[in-house]
Amino acid sequence: MRIGLRLQENSCRSIVLDGRTIVSAAREIQAGSLAEALDSALSGLSREFGSGVRDITADVGHVLATRKLADVVAVHISPRPPADVFHAARLPAHVEPAVSRTVHVCGGHDMRGRPLAQLDLEAFLTVLPSILSGNVRNVAITSVGSTASTDHETRIADAILSNDSEMRISISSDFYSSVFRDRDYTTVLNTALMATGEELAALLDAAGRRHFPAATLSFARNDGGRAPLPRLAVAPVHGLRPEPASAILGAATLAGVPNGEVVICTDSGVSAGHIRDGLPAANSLIRQGYEASLASNAAVVESYTANHLIRPDVTSVIADLRTEQATPLPFGLVPTLPSAQDVALVGSAAAPLTSWIDRLETISGRTDLAAVQHRAEEDAQSAVVQLGANPGQIHIIESNVFAMPYGNPGIVRIRVQAAGETSSNKERFLAAEARCAAP
Amino acid sequence: MSTQLTADDVRHLRTGAHFLACAIDPTAIHVYTDMVLQAMEHQSLELTTVDELASDDLVVAVGMVTQGLFIADMPPVGDEFLGCIKAMEASLGRRVRAIYPLAAANINGMIPLMVGLQASLPVIDSDPMGRVFPLISQTTLNIGQVPISPIAMMGVTGERALVEANNPQRAETLVRALVTELGGWAATAMYPCTAAQLKEHGVHGSVSRMIRIGQIQDAETSVERKFLMLAELLDATRVARARVSHIEGLSRPTDLGLPAQPSSVTLEDESTGQIIRLEIQNEILLVLVDGAIAAAVPDMVTLLNSEHGTVVTLDDVRVGNVVDVLTYPAAAQWYSPAGLDLAEPTAFGIPLRHPRRSHA
Repeated sequence: MRIGLRLQENSCRSIVLDGRTIVSAAREIQAGSLAEALDSALSGLSREFGSGVRDITADVGHVLATRKLADVVAVHISPRPPADVFHAARLPAHVEPAVSRTVHVCGGHDMRGRPLAQLDLEAFLTVLPSILSGNVRNVAITSVGSTASTDHETRIADAILSNDSEMRISISSDFYSSVFRDRDYTTVLNTALMATGEELAALLDAAGRRHFPAATLSFARNDGGRAPLPRLAVAPVHGLRPEPASAILGAATLAGVPNGEVVICTDSGVSAGHIRDGLPAANSLIRQGYEASLASNAAVVESYTANHLIRPDVTSVIADLRTEQATPLPFGLVPTLPSAQDVALVGSAAAPLTSWIDRLETISGRTDLAAVQHRAEEDAQSAVVQLGANPGQIHIIESNVFAMPYGNPGIVRIRVQAAGETSSNKERFLAAEARCAAP
Repeated sequence: MSTQLTADDVRHLRTGAHFLACAIDPTAIHVYTDMVLQAMEHQSLELTTVDELASDDLVVAVGMVTQGLFIADMPPVGDEFLGCIKAMEASLGRRVRAIYPLAAANINGMIPLMVGLQASLPVIDSDPMGRVFPLISQTTLNIGQVPISPIAMMGVTGERALVEANNPQRAETLVRALVTELGGWAATAMYPCTAAQLKEHGVHGSVSRMIRIGQIQDAETSVERKFLMLAELLDATRVARARVSHIEGLSRPTDLGLPAQPSSVTLEDESTGQIIRLEIQNEILLVLVDGAIAAAVPDMVTLLNSEHGTVVTLDDVRVGNVVDVLTYPAAAQWYSPAGLDLAEPTAFGIPLRHPRRSHA
């Protein structure tokens, strides 16, 4: 059995899933603090289901989104600093106040991974004492061309850590986007959330050990998958907005549909996404209008309109999650799931371990292309194993190669998603079912 | 007639610039739009027609040439285009009176606005492509034999170059090589000419066309109504509403020194059963419907989200997506024999003549 949790500031909502069946409907515990609510929720579930529970996955997005961001020092590595205020990178308004100081360091790489300028480590070392002596313990490092070479970012990070190993550091090469401001925004936000991520990971770990010592603990990711709890302390940004993906996965899980369209109807409107091979179809960016995008793989969700094309050969799962269901759904939609369920919580419980490889590769022809794609698939599978998956239960969900318009001839982007399940969990996740169902 | 651009005009131009070049990620346009809107708070921005300039006024094209580094990964620091204009003036011994976009689409449609604000120069409502082409030699000014050089360049690192080459194809080769070594992009000023030459050989109304497209796309009206308005404005045809069934990288051989790899997208029109194939290299070059040519470069192609009517960037195309494939003609100059020599499929390594050539 698997537990899905949703943490909020002073409450914890839970569901228990056995295969695709809900064995304990969503229930919410309110308490004086999140720790108390979590403890109380897990204590009750432990009495009821005991050692039958193998996996616990928590959606921590609400807590991450509502906590005050920690202060961050942003380090920008590029050949030259902005010459005027108009050309300086701008962060979205909710993150901008978290940056207490921006330090420019000369450096950066082109798309071939060649240095655009020598890293001016010496100059950085002269300002480092003033960074370390301040109150800010979080540093976000973003370099031009870090999708092609991580060298300058890691050297700056090493310089900081060798002087103070307690500093929390994020580097932008951990997040794939070809846009500096996207990586800067994501890195700053990730760093600003790391303390909260650490706190939540410790809280969940302590409560989990107390009540379910044999279960593995994870947090729900924005792509509909999950990652082990220790990752929450280093990459909290991937757990910031899991609910849209979890809702798609949860509805598809309850319907037993590994491939198809999922329509979610709520009080605020109707949206649609796709489930492919047991996981939500995902994009590498969470777009926010014309502002910087969050460089985190997340479900593609679009608003449903009267122009929506219905494809007869594609299964549709329609979930009616409105508080009141007396009136019919808009657009003539008819629910396919029996009643209002907390499908996002089901999705958290059902989430498999997921991993992405998203990187640039240099190729000279088709043979090369096949080789680098194969290597990326191997790396993605290996990454899922490192997260705890059983090598025998891993599937490649997506494997794509993208030409880069106006890029260097010979450089392509390779993007691969792998998903897997732990050896302790004998329940097949939806992606595995998709493979078994395939002819 | 000269007009002062408003913030709304700039926002619409952002949308129109993306519409006309859906092959390229629009983030750099968004970044530049923010800059322009910020700068406009302190200064007005003039869009002028070529008719309002004295016939011998010196005008230059400004724009980015890229080969590798995405502009959005290293936005210019702010002094590059001013440096290029200064270098151009020093080389020619004359003051530049106005600037025009190297290409009136995507990032190069937006950049002249920022440069105009920085340099206090009017922006001309004309350009030498009327769309985006990958090569700097693919211009209507080249068709009219207006010299491309001197070309002033400044790269990511602040390094500069001035290229003097009479042959536009040689200039393209030299500039492309320099851009690679300058870091992946270069701010450039090129095609210095008189207002009279631009008037004779340029594509006119191309900046205001981007604004008009944006007004339609940004309007609070139905997707179908927007399509009808765009069809009227651009003489556009919806070739298909089709679902992406296959995406293929490195789908054709390439040896022409063009940036990027060729790729192809296959779609299926579920209502007609037709198979649509898009051949791509930097831009969408060819649209085939059941093997017949529905559009071929220099024709223009835009992909729209069939449900929302928004532009679909090629980066975001995935198997299963349903898109409307819109085609519309490029500027008339491109369908002359000299224009087709520069910009029909054979110029991109696809062994096909443009259908209009055989009818000429």
